[in-house]
Formats: sequence, structure tokens, C-alpha cells
Amino acid sequence: MPIWTASEIQDRGSTSHILMNITIENLTKSFGEKQVLNIDHYSIHSGEIIGLVGNNGAGKTTLFRIILDLLHADTGCVTIDGIIDDKPVACDTAESEEWKAYTGAFVDAGFLIDYLTPEEYFRFIAKISGISDEMLRDRLLLFDSFMNGEVLGQKTLIRNLSMGNKQKVGIIGAMLHHPRLLILDEPFNFLDPSSQLAMKYLLETYSKEHHATIMVSSHNLAHTLDICTRITLLEHGSIIKDYDRDYALLTSEIEAYFKGNISI
Amino acid sequence: MDIPYIRLLYKEISRNQRIQARRHPMFEKNMVMKILTYIFIAFWSAYLIFLGVLAHVLFSDTAYESFDWIDGGMVWFLLIDFLARFAMQETPAQNVKQYKLLNIPTGFLLNTFLLRMGLHPYNLFGAFFFIPFGLLAIPQFYGLGGLCGFLLGWWVMFIVNSYWYLLWRTLINRNILYIIAPLLIYAGVIYFGIFYDDNAQWLFLATIHLMRGFCLWNPLSWLIAIGMAIPLYIINYHLQKSAIYVEIAKTDMVKQVKTNNMLFLDKFGVIGEYLKLEIKSVMRNLVVRKQFIYGTLCMLMLCVLFSFTDVYDDMPFMRIFICIYCFTCIGCMTLSSVMCAEGNYIDGLMVRKETVLLLLKAKYYFQCLILIVPLLFSIMPVVEGKINLLASLGCLLFTSGVVLPFMFQLAVYNDSTIHLNEKLTKAGRDTKIQMIMSGAALFFPMLIMYILVSLFGNDTAAVVMLSVGIVGTVLHPLWLRNIYNRFMQRRYANMDGFRNSR
Repeated sequence: MPIWTASEIQDRGSTSHILMNITIENLTKSFGEKQVLNIDHYSIHSGEIIGLVGNNGAGKTTLFRIILDLLHADTGCVTIDGIIDDKPVACDTAESEEWKAYTGAFVDAGFLIDYLTPEEYFRFIAKISGISDEMLRDRLLLFDSFMNGEVLGQKTLIRNLSMGNKQKVGIIGAMLHHPRLLILDEPFNFLDPSSQLAMKYLLETYSKEHHATIMVSSHNLAHTLDICTRITLLEHGSIIKDYDRDYALLTSEIEAYFKGNISI
Repeated sequence: MDIPYIRLLYKEISRNQRIQARRHPMFEKNMVMKILTYIFIAFWSAYLIFLGVLAHVLFSDTAYESFDWIDGGMVWFLLIDFLARFAMQETPAQNVKQYKLLNIPTGFLLNTFLLRMGLHPYNLFGAFFFIPFGLLAIPQFYGLGGLCGFLLGWWVMFIVNSYWYLLWRTLINRNILYIIAPLLIYAGVIYFGIFYDDNAQWLFLATIHLMRGFCLWNPLSWLIAIGMAIPLYIINYHLQKSAIYVEIAKTDMVKQVKTNNMLFLDKFGVIGEYLKLEIKSVMRNLVVRKQFIYGTLCMLMLCVLFSFTDVYDDMPFMRIFICIYCFTCIGCMTLSSVMCAEGNYIDGLMVRKETVLLLLKAKYYFQCLILIVPLLFSIMPVVEGKINLLASLGCLLFTSGVVLPFMFQLAVYNDSTIHLNEKLTKAGRDTKIQMIMSGAALFFPMLIMYILVSLFGNDTAAVVMLSVGIVGTVLHPLWLRNIYNRFMQRRYANMDGFRNSR
């Protein structure tokens, strides 16, 4: 498969022709003696909302970091492939940077430039993503209810915001340039109930409007089950179950797993 | 009072502090630094022993006894000690923070850390000087008891000095303008005590009497020392107590900030955005700001020395030597930790295409912009004919085309995050590569200049520097790209280091 080139990206015109699939092959990662990830094969299709669930240490964040090329896998690779102008293209995330233009992510505070105000941070993201000031204003309007009047106009540096508001800034920053692949690690963390509901609505709407591939990890099973079209259960770095959305089976089985009643 | 419990707590806290220092990522990583530290300590110990013996020999057959000369110069010893502590001594407020929620009274914690500060082995470092000196000078006059009093007296004075330092260090952390106060105090004491008139001897005599009192175990001397130590301890106690809340709530940092879009930089496109980041990083991050201020002060000091004094007028080589340092010093001082501030948000940069390359470009342009300052300062010596314009431009372009590219290589190897608003002094953070590169960047321009000037004379040397500098400056997109490519090859190791040291 050909690799995306910069000229192909520039010639693509609208991003709406891009489909994003992710394929993971033979991925392993160990920290010292301990293996934290071991995935033979896993593929994510364009437009899916994937929920990664699992107990602490299951390997969710490690998987995200490897997909985003923030961590080196011991073996295997992550390939992002898609269609640009009816032409199949693909790239290994560790070998190319082209996928970054279509990807948005927020994993932790290490994604935030915390000595900027939220306005400055959003403007920085917008400018480096080629978004004009007018477009930025319009796009931020869509996050109005999510921000709930607590993020913009506070005259406060990001580092002085509450954890919840930092989380909001990070999530909005990841979504501002309308990525085709959105990766959010525990997006419901630190958010108040209203913001959690707004977050759910945001993700569902975003997926529908942009046909984006979304990956979220969460310990909040109710929210994850509500919004995801597919749930992947990780345990000790391995995928032990991959559910399509089948509520009746899914809810009872996952809840039973986390209660420790059954092994899957 | 439950003495066994207090002893247990004290032992545990002491153990935690030792572990904290030993398990710091940089401590584990930096074997060379550790070895150099031991060599440094060994060298100074031997040197101080030598000085102790030498001082006794030098001051033996004079109007005063040799120990009187040393005791009379107490203010100088304490001033040097005060300045050295800026590189060595930490403040206790942040150490208390982690115990704040435990069932340990804050007062106990503060007393523990303040006491440990007083009993820190650093306060005994002067013993390498005073023991050999005291052994040679004191027993013949005051006997062994006098020697003990002499050594103990000096130790107490260094402890008092450590609390005196802590007071000002804490206040300077709050506002850098507090630095003026100890400067004025020292200047006043030294001026009125020594230089006010030819017969100003009161400071000299007062410290002699104080120290003789220690040797004779005169209660008055001890009362004076205790009279200084206790108020300082109490003031520090209350100051640190309020500092804990500042640390926990970060109240001093939660200020209203005006969003500043710096629209004038918009015309530079995406690079302009990264330039804004660079400027805001300097303005809003305590550590980066301090680094920048120290670099700027050093640069300005050299510039003033170069432009407005005639110190080096008789030495043409020294003139050009100072000139090059006017240009290079700030780059050497600030770029030794290039990318270390970005370690705080490296993940956010790395998930966006080539952001690090653009950031490096912005950093380079920012450094080049700063070079305008020494260039302006060099106008006066150029007009006065102390140095020609060619040499001044040669220094500027040599800096932008050779020294800066050299320092930027550290972007590939730096992998330790600096805490942007950390108020503590953390000694020994630089890695070996930072030390080597900074040292080389300071040393090589001098060496190259020396070779060029010796071989070809001033004008040819300036032309060579100008030419090499122009090539390096023009080729900046290429060498920055090369640095970026090598950074990307090392990215996993670097990101790992940044995360571990956050």
C-alpha cells in the first residue's frame, strides 16, 4: 500500500473523503520484566466509536500511547489506512507523521501548554492547524454548553484551572481541528455530572457529523456503554473480549466481569 | 510529649529525605555528575586544609594573632557562604507539603526541617579550613577547650548564616526584588565597617571579640550567637508556615492574566505562533524567566564592561574576547536546557506534525533577535575605535551561525523536564552532555578566536568569523532539520525521560 505523501495531503481538498481505519498487528510492550501489552491482531473501522474498558493496569493508556507514537512498541506495528480521493493509502504511525494532521488526542495534562490561557491555547491549536480566527470562534460555540461558562473569559492560566476544566480544555483542543481519528483517555474523569452528559452528547454528535473514528477509555461503564458502538475489554495487556453493540448481552456480561463473578 | 514517637517520626522523615534525593531520576541517571561532585568536594576539602595551614603561616608574625585576622574577616566568610548557598540549599516549604495531610502536626514538620537545615553537613564544610587552622593557632593561647570553643563558634555562625540565607531565599522566591535588601545590608555593613574611613575597625574588632569570647567560653558570645539564631529561626518558622499554604494552594500564582495574542507576530505565520509561545514561556514561567533574567544580566554586565569601561583598552585580544562573550553568554546559559521546559507538554507537541521542528526554528529566531542587544552595545566601542565594526559583526554572526547551532544540538539529547514554576534550588540537575556542551560553547569561541587572532591578526580573524557565521546562519533550515531528524530518532527515549522527570 502506498504511504501518504505531503502533496497527496495538500491535494486532497476536503477531508470528508478520508476514511480512517486502524490495524494493530503483533503488538507487544513490556516495562522491565512485566509485559503490559500483547495484542495479536485488532482492527478498528472508520466511523466506529470504540470503548476500551479494563481495570487499572490493563494497558489502555499504553495502547493509546503506542497508537499515537508516544511510546515505542517492542514488537508489531500500528497502521492507519484510509481512502483519500478514492485512492487507498496507509502509514505506520511510527514511520510517518502524515496521520497526525487527521488525529486529535488527549491523554493527560502532558498534552496541555499550561502557561497559556484557554483562549491562547485554542488559538495556538487553531493557528497551527490552519483554522482562522472566525472559524475558531464558530467552532468554540459548539462547545459552549460543555464549557459551561467556566473555561473562557476566566483570565486564568490553564495550570490554575480545576482538574475538570483542564480536562475540558484538553478535550476541546483535541477536537478543534475536526480530526478523523479522536483518541481520548478517560474523558469523563474529573467532569461534573452535567459536563459528563455534555461530553457524551458531544462525542455522539461529533461521530455522526464527521464520521470520525473515536477511541475512548473509561472506568465509567454506563457512559461508555451508552455511546460506544463497540466495546473492547482489556486484561493484563490482552484483548479478552470484543463486543459489538448488543446491549442485552454486553451490559450484563461486562458488569459481571467487573464484579469479578465470571472470567471471560 | 511522646519522645519515642517524635524520634520515630524524625528518623522516618530523615530517611524519606535521603531516599528522595537518591531516587531522583537525575541522580540515578547522572553518574558523571555524581563522580564530579565527589571530586569537587575532595578538591575543595584538600584546598581548604591547605588554605587553613597557609593562613596560619601568613598571619603569624603580625600585629594581631593569626586567628584574629581570620576572626576579624568573619563578614567575608559569611558573605561567601551566603552566596554559595544559592546553589546548594533548598527551602523546606515544599518538603512539608507532602506530609501535610498526614497526622503529623505542621509545627513538628517545620521544626524537623529547620533543625535538619541547621544540622546539615554543609554547615560543617568550613571545618576543613578551621580545624587545621585552629589546631595550629588556638591551643597555644586558649588550650584544647579554646580550640573546641573556636570550632563550635564558627559552626554556630554558619548555622546562623544558613537561617539568614533561608529568610532571604524565601522572600526572593516570592518576589525577586527582595534581592535588593540583602545586597544593601551587606554593602552597608562592609562599607561602614571597613571602608567608611581609614580607621574604621569596629567590624573587625567586634568579630575578633566575639570569637575570642567563644574561645574563652564567655557566655556573652554564646548569648549573642543564640540571640541571632533564635529570632531568625522563629521568623523562618512563620515564613515557611505561610509558604506551605502558598505551595499547596499556589495562591501566589493564581493571578488574573490578560490574554495576549501578540498580533504583531501573526505576520510570521505559524512560526509567529511558536515565537509567542517562547515569549510567554519566558514571561510566565518562574524557572524559565529566572534563567532568562540571569542570562540577560550576565550579557548586560559584559556589554557594560565592554562598552563603558576602559578595563581592557590595553589588551586588544581581551576586547574582542569580551565582545564575543557579550553575544554568546545568554545563548549558552539559556540553551543548555533547550527543550527541557517543553518536556512538560511534549506529548501534546508530538501528536502534531513537525511541531518540534517549528518550535526549534522559533527558538533560533528568538535567540537571534536577542543578539541585537549586544550589537547595540557594541556601537559605542566601534565609534570610539576600540573595536572595528567588522569584528563586532563577526562576533554576532559567529554566534548565530556557529555557537547557537552548537548549543541547539542539546535539543537532541536533553530528556529531563524542568518544572516551570518550581521555587526550590535543585543542585546537580544538568546532565553530563549539558555540562560538556555548555562548557565547550563557552570555551571554543575563545580558543578559535585565540588561534585566529594569533595566526592572522584581528581583521582577518573577524573576516573568517563573519564568513563562517554567515554560512551557518544561512544554512539554519538545514541544520535545524538535521537536529529535528535526530530528535525524532531518539524521541521514545527522550519522551520517556521527560515523563519520568515531570
